[in-house]
Amino acid sequence: MKGLQSFRYFPFVFFGCIAIVLAFIVPHFFTVRNIINVLTQASTLGLMSMGMAAVLLVGGIDLSIPAIMAFSGILGAMFMRAGGNPVIASLIMVSVGSIAGCINGLAVAYLRMIPFVVTLSMQAIATGAAIWVTNALSVSGIPTSFMNAILYKVWIIPLPVIVFVLLTILFELLLRRSLFGRWLYSVGTNVRASRVSGINTTRVLFSAYLFSGMMAGIVAIMVTARLSSASATMGSSNVVLDIVSSAVIGGVSIYGGSGSAVGVMLGALVITLISNSMNFLHVPYYLTLMIKGAVIIAAIAFDSFRKK
Amino acid sequence: MDPYLRLTDVTKSFPGVQALTGVNVSAYAGEALALMGANGAGKSTLMNILGGVTMADSGDIRIDGKVAHFRDPKEAARHGIAFIHQEMALLPTMTVAENMFITRFPSRGGLIDRASIEVASSKVLQQLGCAIPTRTKVRDLSPGECQIVEIGRALLSKARIIIFDEPTSSLTAREKDQLFRVIESLKKEGKVIIYITHFLDEIFQICDQAVILRNGEVVGGGRLKDLTRSEIVTLMIGAEGTSVTSISRGKVSSDPVLRVSGLARSGVLDDINFTLHSGEILALWGLLGSGRTELARALVGLDPIDSGHIEIKTNGKLHSVSQRQTKQWIGMVTENRREEGLLLPCSVRENLSLANLNALISRVWPFLDRKKETRIGVELVERLNIKIHDSEQAVKTLSGGNQQKVVLGRWIQRSPRIFIMDEPTRGLDVGAKAEIRKIVNELAAGGMAVLLISSEIEDLLELADRYLVLSRGRIVAEKPAGSTRNELIASAADDSLI
Repeated sequence: MKGLQSFRYFPFVFFGCIAIVLAFIVPHFFTVRNIINVLTQASTLGLMSMGMAAVLLVGGIDLSIPAIMAFSGILGAMFMRAGGNPVIASLIMVSVGSIAGCINGLAVAYLRMIPFVVTLSMQAIATGAAIWVTNALSVSGIPTSFMNAILYKVWIIPLPVIVFVLLTILFELLLRRSLFGRWLYSVGTNVRASRVSGINTTRVLFSAYLFSGMMAGIVAIMVTARLSSASATMGSSNVVLDIVSSAVIGGVSIYGGSGSAVGVMLGALVITLISNSMNFLHVPYYLTLMIKGAVIIAAIAFDSFRKK
Repeated sequence: MDPYLRLTDVTKSFPGVQALTGVNVSAYAGEALALMGANGAGKSTLMNILGGVTMADSGDIRIDGKVAHFRDPKEAARHGIAFIHQEMALLPTMTVAENMFITRFPSRGGLIDRASIEVASSKVLQQLGCAIPTRTKVRDLSPGECQIVEIGRALLSKARIIIFDEPTSSLTAREKDQLFRVIESLKKEGKVIIYITHFLDEIFQICDQAVILRNGEVVGGGRLKDLTRSEIVTLMIGAEGTSVTSISRGKVSSDPVLRVSGLARSGVLDDINFTLHSGEILALWGLLGSGRTELARALVGLDPIDSGHIEIKTNGKLHSVSQRQTKQWIGMVTENRREEGLLLPCSVRENLSLANLNALISRVWPFLDRKKETRIGVELVERLNIKIHDSEQAVKTLSGGNQQKVVLGRWIQRSPRIFIMDEPTRGLDVGAKAEIRKIVNELAAGGMAVLLISSEIEDLLELADRYLVLSRGRIVAEKPAGSTRNELIASAADDSLI
């Protein structure tokens, strides 16, 4: 389940190196303000990557996460704009994400459809729906009580960062110690052997996609609060790239069966650091994209190499 | 005559394992050398060294009197060494001729010279006595034909030393005969054949010399006409433990734990009725394709059924259960442990607990109790005598026999009432087979009901209390314990029973 033991600490080493390099080349990198900013961005990316990690663990992929996130956020924001209660709005966001995840799960687990195609189509549907309901405009007019509650600061640390850290610890525990975690690893490693051993592999597959959709819904709350609005552009397909990179840099195998939550957290930090410092260094956007793409390929090459 | 291939004092160690110690092997042109040994004896390591996959720590390889060093498989191939693989190493979507020339297509004006590869490959195939059309796609060939194509490829690359690794495992009797004819003709041409197999019959049929390895050392060998079967078996598994210690299980109870009635699946199973008793080993006997594996899989819900009832004893009485529920009481060893049995990259501990995770939830919190998991795992490792140095070791590093014990242990941990074992000794060496049989015997002695399927008739003769003979998805006869080998073979082959 852990692959080669010696590679377990790769995400830590990688994170350390990136942080040190950036500290030297990026001016004002180690300011409290910037670090908090990085952590806040990393928490939304990281939580979506946790969803992706669960799906990758069982040998699938979920390309629809950001689109579902945007659509969930829009529905919740529209509800609040119409005077709805922020708590119910948040529940709506989580439910919409979960329902979309359910549909992905049904298609992949029960109808045995190819994850890549299913979730790519789901992405198109969610993005299309998001543009349709908003007329391609951003939904604002959200009550400040919602923003204040979600972005509440404990000392200087915003709530999303705390939630991110707590959920990471919880997932790590789930993956390592719970029945569900063991099922995810086992299905991702050998689905046929798992079925013979009495594991309901269909349900495990389904749950992974459901979980992924739910994460998208939770993140929708955070992103909507941070932007104090919601729009279809929140779920731009470039975010998928960041999510996949976070997961693979965090040591999640795209072949299924190995990875850890703490790794994914570090992966998300690395990706956020790269984006953040590219901004600082005024690196043009196209170059940032190229660098991120290269980082993914390098991480996957490393993963393949490790498998051999 | 000097040997064409001579390995002298070859030694190889891996971290924690001394794989080969001072191995000396000589092979002569025009002869077949049988390389024998139990799983883990060092055969694969020796062949990997010869094939350039790994390098020996010390010792040398001489080919035709000259020292040869192989740093990679290509170099070994250049020295005329060719492997005929256990798994077919061909490209299914390409033609026979393309496969035979895949490493070095001749070209003309920058394009592949198709005409010449067709001519050359059909010439080689004719030489091998086979009329496989060279434009056929490899996916349309039988396993036997694929093997011939592989041999043809070896000949085209001017191989002098041809290594066969379990070549007959997927062949029919006719294909086997043909393969042996080909090997004979290769011998006549002066090739060196190295033949690796578990089947003693084949060695006496086709080989001239034998080398027997045990624990990484050469323990014996010589010309086959001076050796007997029992000598070879004794050398392979050592003097102790040669005969299976049969535990007297006493009389089988008449306490039914599983009753199957009217089980059917269109075209596969037809009106299957039988009862299995506690402490009984019931053998499902029949040829490949008779429906024995399909019946086993249907009983645990891995394959669907059209109709029929399954009753299992719970709370002292037989109760009707659905196909989906049977897993709660039935342990299942599938015929292919690597594909449907094990999580290969995972640890022995994780593999042992896989079917029993629900019972390992801690009382304190909703998580797995790792200490308990490890403790039960270690107990099973000791009880089944699984050879590992650490229960965190990955299962893929174990030998076949130890892997199979892990699969058995997984279910024993759950102590199911019924155990279905499909080919539990497949691909194991003589010693490991005996150990697995001993475990099965002990389980039945402890009251477990066992449904046993095996192509190894020795397994059945030694273990079975009763036989159900299957043919074309039907139970056509029932035979008592003590049936002879010939009776069983006759019953399986006898269609008139229908």
